[in-house]
Amino acid sequence: MRARLFVTEAFRSIAANLSTSVAAVMTVLIGMFLLGLFIALGSWVISWTNHVKKDLVVDVYFCTELTCGTEATTKEINAVKLQLDQNPDVKSYKFVSKDDAWEEMKDRFPELTENAPRNPLPASYEVIPEDADQVQAIAASLQPPPVGVETVKYGEKKAERVLQVAKIIGGIFLVGSLILLVASTILIANTIRLSIFSRRREIEVMKLVGASNWFVRAPFMLEGLLCGLAGSILAVVLLLLAKELALPGIMGRIESPGDIQAWNFPVVALILIVMSLLVGAFGSGITLRRFLRI
Amino acid sequence: MQEADLTEQLEQPGAATAALNGDPAESATAVDPADPAAAPSEAPMIVFEAVTKVYDPNVVALREASFVIEKGEFVFLVGPSGSGKSTIMRLLLKELDPTDGRIIVGGRELARLRRSKVPMLRRNLGCVFQDFKLLTDRTAYDNVAYALKVQGDSKTQIRAKVPEILALVGLGSKMTNVPHELSGGEQQRVSIARAFVNHPPLLICDEPTGNLDPDTSVGIMQLLYRINRTGTTVVMATHDREMVDKMRKRVIALEEGVVVRDERRGGYG
Repeated sequence: MRARLFVTEAFRSIAANLSTSVAAVMTVLIGMFLLGLFIALGSWVISWTNHVKKDLVVDVYFCTELTCGTEATTKEINAVKLQLDQNPDVKSYKFVSKDDAWEEMKDRFPELTENAPRNPLPASYEVIPEDADQVQAIAASLQPPPVGVETVKYGEKKAERVLQVAKIIGGIFLVGSLILLVASTILIANTIRLSIFSRRREIEVMKLVGASNWFVRAPFMLEGLLCGLAGSILAVVLLLLAKELALPGIMGRIESPGDIQAWNFPVVALILIVMSLLVGAFGSGITLRRFLRI
Repeated sequence: MQEADLTEQLEQPGAATAALNGDPAESATAVDPADPAAAPSEAPMIVFEAVTKVYDPNVVALREASFVIEKGEFVFLVGPSGSGKSTIMRLLLKELDPTDGRIIVGGRELARLRRSKVPMLRRNLGCVFQDFKLLTDRTAYDNVAYALKVQGDSKTQIRAKVPEILALVGLGSKMTNVPHELSGGEQQRVSIARAFVNHPPLLICDEPTGNLDPDTSVGIMQLLYRINRTGTTVVMATHDREMVDKMRKRVIALEEGVVVRDERRGGYG
């Protein structure tokens, strides 16, 4: 009964204050569209850095006759395996035997291997770290190289640069999201404040004829909720359009392996809508408090 | 006990209402249902007991004001601007709290009234203002209906009460007009209708004729007088010297926050 009254009051007030309602919807729309764009872009970039990080591995090359004079023995290889097993930074490792290495070489460079008298390649462990940041530590734990190990490599230069770029991108994304979040919240709160301020006399009258705080507040909050809903749905529609129309044109020019992906669109949409609803309703409710003290 | 003491500060409250009833100019021969003489045990409508209100930082709006208004009385509050009339109105509505002293309305001490009960107080207390305080985007009908909605009246009740009260104030044909389509006098009638639709025991009016021309003012005063005749206590702050002199009702005069005069059948001064 009351709920219906509040809903009619809220709609009546949206219609009666159409220009402020439209302004509120537009603010939500702009804020949420930018935030959505940023989340999509940011999550894509983070996914890209993760992809690049996956390439960061530590290679442990064992001795061959060519490099050390003697082949590494099974015992020596097992000793390294034990050491890797005990290292908590190691996520997994893969043993690449001399034959495996040779097969791969043959696949990639057939003309080089064609005339080789024998297999000169070393056996190796390809060590995948728990976290890409730990490649250096893993490599360091194998220094000086154990017996039978010729060298330990982790692509130092590349690794350092990739990690640095990833860190910077992550930081920019975080700071940017926070700024956008705060900015759009302030913007929306300000619109709500203006709209309520322009109606403070109305609120005063309501209070003077005996309306309880909740009787005044409920329609306002509902109104904020509805404006938030409308604004965020419009923002989601715009984002969807951008995704469907603009994105293929851009992505066609960028090489993008399958495992690089922005966050799921429905998740982003849900975040935006829920946020707008909360900011709309509670923003109105909290802003109103000052004017209800009559 | 307290009330008895207080009433002694004024000269026989019963006499005042008796005078009101016996006033030949008003031809008020109808029985006043709130006649204190007929029901001496009834508590007064309003008691102000040494009420002081100091606004920040140090403006004294009201200084130890004491008076008692009985049920059914018609009382003018007069005095120059800034003398404390509006402060009394706002204190009665519990829009403000006094710095010192006690206020009792309808037997309830306002200081003891919890914030959450303030809406209840206001539903039992009609108020009319100089600037009408109507909801500008609603029709006359909806403005009056709002006062009923806030207390949870059903649609059926609202549909029955609102046209009746609007007809009573003479606006039966303008129910669907919004305030800016109405004249000042008509807007004030809407506001009176809204204040009176619940038939509150007390009606307080803050310069209800302040924005109206003399002819219109007379009409509004007649309306308030008729409302008073139904037993409703009316307290009216005003600048309207002519009106006060003509009505010959109780006059409480204020000057710089002090009650300087309280006459049973006073003039403006």
